[in-house]
Amino acid sequence: MSESITLHSHKGGPNPWKVVMVLEELGLKYNTIFVDANTGEHKKGPYTALNPNGRMPTLVDHSNNDFTIWESGAIVLYLIGKYDTTHKISFPDFDSTAIANQYLMFQMSGQGPYFGQAAWFMHFHSEKLPSAVERYVAEIHRILGVLDGILADKEYLVGGKASYADLSFIPWNWAFGFFGEHVAGWEEKYPNFTAWNTRLNERAAVKKTKADKAAVN
Amino acid sequence: MSSTAETPAITLYTTQTPNGVKISIALEELGLPYTVKKLDLSTGVQKEPWFLAINPNGRMPAITDTSFPDGKAIHVWESGAILQYLVETYDKDHKISYPKGSREDWQVQQWLFFQNTGVGPMQGQANHFFRYAPERIPYATNRYIAETERLYSVLEAQLASSSSGFLVGDRLTIADITTWGWITIAEWSGIDVAKFPALQKWQKLLEQRPALKRGADVPEPSKIKETLKSPEAIEKAQQAATKWIVPK
Ligand SMILES: N[C@@H](CCC(=O)N[C@@H](CS)C(=O)NCC(=O)O)C(=O)O
Ligand SMILES: N[C@@H](CCC(=O)N[C@@H](CS)C(=O)NCC(=O)O)C(=O)O
Repeated sequence: MSESITLHSHKGGPNPWKVVMVLEELGLKYNTIFVDANTGEHKKGPYTALNPNGRMPTLVDHSNNDFTIWESGAIVLYLIGKYDTTHKISFPDFDSTAIANQYLMFQMSGQGPYFGQAAWFMHFHSEKLPSAVERYVAEIHRILGVLDGILADKEYLVGGKASYADLSFIPWNWAFGFFGEHVAGWEEKYPNFTAWNTRLNERAAVKKTKADKAAVN
Repeated sequence: MSSTAETPAITLYTTQTPNGVKISIALEELGLPYTVKKLDLSTGVQKEPWFLAINPNGRMPAITDTSFPDGKAIHVWESGAILQYLVETYDKDHKISYPKGSREDWQVQQWLFFQNTGVGPMQGQANHFFRYAPERIPYATNRYIAETERLYSVLEAQLASSSSGFLVGDRLTIADITTWGWITIAEWSGIDVAKFPALQKWQKLLEQRPALKRGADVPEPSKIKETLKSPEAIEKAQQAATKWIVPK
């Protein structure tokens, strides 16, 4: 292991790239191991010894006795808690932290699972099930509407600066191309959301993450 | 800190659901006074402007705390973030948490996210397709029941190897609290609980706690166990829920 952190990642999925973005923002060096979900190696040992849930990402911090942690949101909290001592993308005060965590939880439990189910029923499931697609498309629009409202008077979700809370939404925002006609016109329908998404995508760390992802896919 | 005045500083907006009871259980375990504002979801009150000002996502639970150290009231929503808020603000003795930055604390965060992003959303979809969806789609029902059972098996393995019987370390934490309410409605979601003996043992262990029982009965005791005893009651409950769940 040349670097002190190893990220067990997945090329296509959104969640590992959320962690990459934070690593990049914090300027941390890390090794990447891509786990090949097609072979099912993530559902058996040795990977399940690291992550019994058999999903990616999992992070191992060699500088902390090989401390191992999974669930992308918990990994993000670990990284900023341990390494973002100057609060580049986090907050020194408890108040802002509580609200940033609220948005992180909203991303993790609101955006992720439902965008994921939409993608499944649109693209991966063999049989066409319009009422299932409709359910999740409605939820995508509801969530975009909620974010657009929250961002009406703000450039960023918390404290006037880009933080881990904002960044956590980006990997799924990249999937709009994938949702195609179902989200057609989202830029006009959700202008505050769109401006925020553009702002975040202009960050060097986000651009680098996007390029790294494109390079392996 | 926690007030002894007539009006408690914390107001909890909730109803009898697995996400709502997480917060009342944590408040009871911490011995904090709080006021309960019951939201009747069937009236759409959660989408009214006054509530959206508290939670723009239009869902419960949410809390307001007027004793926030900076003197301004704070609103927090997302059950997982509320649990983090409560222990970081009020659990100085680590009754249901671990010191920040400890190994156990990070493990608690990991299992907290696992419930809030995995078990909750997937079991919620199982409920939808198994109980409420106007069009019955066997594929979708099986998909979410199978995924929920897979997630349960991850909990099962963790609990089977735990010497204390709790998810992390030697005590009940917000990781257990966030999970409990969903496990108790497993049968409603179409999940075969008999497959998960360690999880059932854990459920019994938690239910011996008076504070947990008090929190679980907020704003009133759950009717789900009673309902599951009769097919007519199940049918009635499904229909009543479908009215508010299906439009949005
Ligand atoms: N991830 C959220 C989920 C909250 C949630 O699903 N709340 C439901 C009740 S259990 C709700 O308020 N539904 C109202 C609606 O969808 O209109 C959390 O944990 O707080
Ligand atoms: N709008 C919701 C209404 C039903 C609802 O809010 N269900 C809650 C449980 S009470 C849920 O599934 N929450 C998912 C979670 O907690 O992640 C839907 O269509 O699913």
